[in-house]
Amino acid sequence: MESSEERTAARRSKVDALRAESRRQEVRRRNLAITATVVAAFVLVVGAVFVIGKVGPGGGEAVAAGESRLVRADSHRLQTAADGKVTVVEFLDFECEACGAYFPMVEQLRARYAGKVTFVTRYFPIASHFNAERAARAVEAAARQGRFEAMYRRMFESQKEWGEKRIPADEIFRGYAKALGLDMAAWEKAYADPATLDRIRKDAADGEALGVQGTPTFFLNGKKIQPQSYDEFKAAIDAALAG
Amino acid sequence: MRLSRAEAAAGLPAAAPAGPREAPFPRLLPWLLTIGGALGLLAAFVLAVEKIALLRNPDYVPSCSINPVLSCGSVMATPQAEVFGFPNPLLGIAGFAMVTAAGAALLAGARPRRWFWLGLQAGLTFAVVFVHWLIYQSLYVIGALCPYCMVVWAVTIPLFWYVTLRNLAGSRAARPFAEYHSVVLAVWFLAVIGLIGVRFWPYWSTLI
Repeated sequence: MESSEERTAARRSKVDALRAESRRQEVRRRNLAITATVVAAFVLVVGAVFVIGKVGPGGGEAVAAGESRLVRADSHRLQTAADGKVTVVEFLDFECEACGAYFPMVEQLRARYAGKVTFVTRYFPIASHFNAERAARAVEAAARQGRFEAMYRRMFESQKEWGEKRIPADEIFRGYAKALGLDMAAWEKAYADPATLDRIRKDAADGEALGVQGTPTFFLNGKKIQPQSYDEFKAAIDAALAG
Repeated sequence: MRLSRAEAAAGLPAAAPAGPREAPFPRLLPWLLTIGGALGLLAAFVLAVEKIALLRNPDYVPSCSINPVLSCGSVMATPQAEVFGFPNPLLGIAGFAMVTAAGAALLAGARPRRWFWLGLQAGLTFAVVFVHWLIYQSLYVIGALCPYCMVVWAVTIPLFWYVTLRNLAGSRAARPFAEYHSVVLAVWFLAVIGLIGVRFWPYWSTLI
């Protein structure tokens, strides 16, 4: 004869097992529901950001009329051609040695094509160059006082003094600003201003969007060129002027 | 006999009436280890082959250098690609092969002892830490993505996650994570995807 106790225990364990199973199913269902919700929320947010970026008024990424990703309204022009037919845009990093090597070449070309070719300079500081961003800030801070070109020259001419050092070069850059006779209070303020850094990052973001991978990267009338020598560079510009 | 059955039935704790607690994800884990391991192995193998091609010819353009952001070449040439003095994919080839074999053994019905699972745990813990260091390097130091490396990231995270949950089964603290396992995984993936999206936003925004 089976004890009733035994039967009750068996029944109870069966009920418990069923209950546990239904709880497991409930948890599984909830897990999937929450997962789906999280993913859907993420997709919605990304979608919204894309839409706002596309149609939103004055989105930071939007390209305004009269400017392009290559040449923005606020991009620094070293010199401007009267007819605006040929434009050379350089994405540069003040600490990059190759940029320093191209600097005299660009100076020579600027002299040769004064008034005929527009030269535009865009910042593209590379993360692995310790002082590149500082240098760009120092130049941008000078640009706020209308001395972009002077500081730009100074950076390349003295690149060996501060480049590749991996120690903050703020003091050296301060010295350059002083030597140029800048309003030092204004320069200091601009040098530390997050807006200055934003301005530099905006240039770099345009560069990235245009496929700039290293510096210097030159664009001749919107086409990326890789001149290996002064003569090659000159030939490319002559072709653009003739075309 | 009857008595013992009754004892067994009565002796079961109410919280776990299903008998001796079964390890979690009994069906998922073997397949995850096999397929995830195989994908990781494939990616690591391709990376190793590409690395050799790149060493032989520095001008070689790897098959996954598609554009400035998706560019294996620029990633593979960095010091981060050989942190331990040899190319990282070598670690992947060995590690993922083991994971695949473990998965296949489970599929064949193996019931490994705890030390085996702990060994797997050790390997995958190292892998997941390493992968996150590489994600950081790729995003914020190198500034480029390598598609094959991303396959490795994508398989390492769930491998680590589910093996960890399996090994922590029975611990009270791990229970909510085991119950909402895919929520955690989704958040994890979306966080990485979000970081990639934000980091390379200027580039992605030109694609649409």
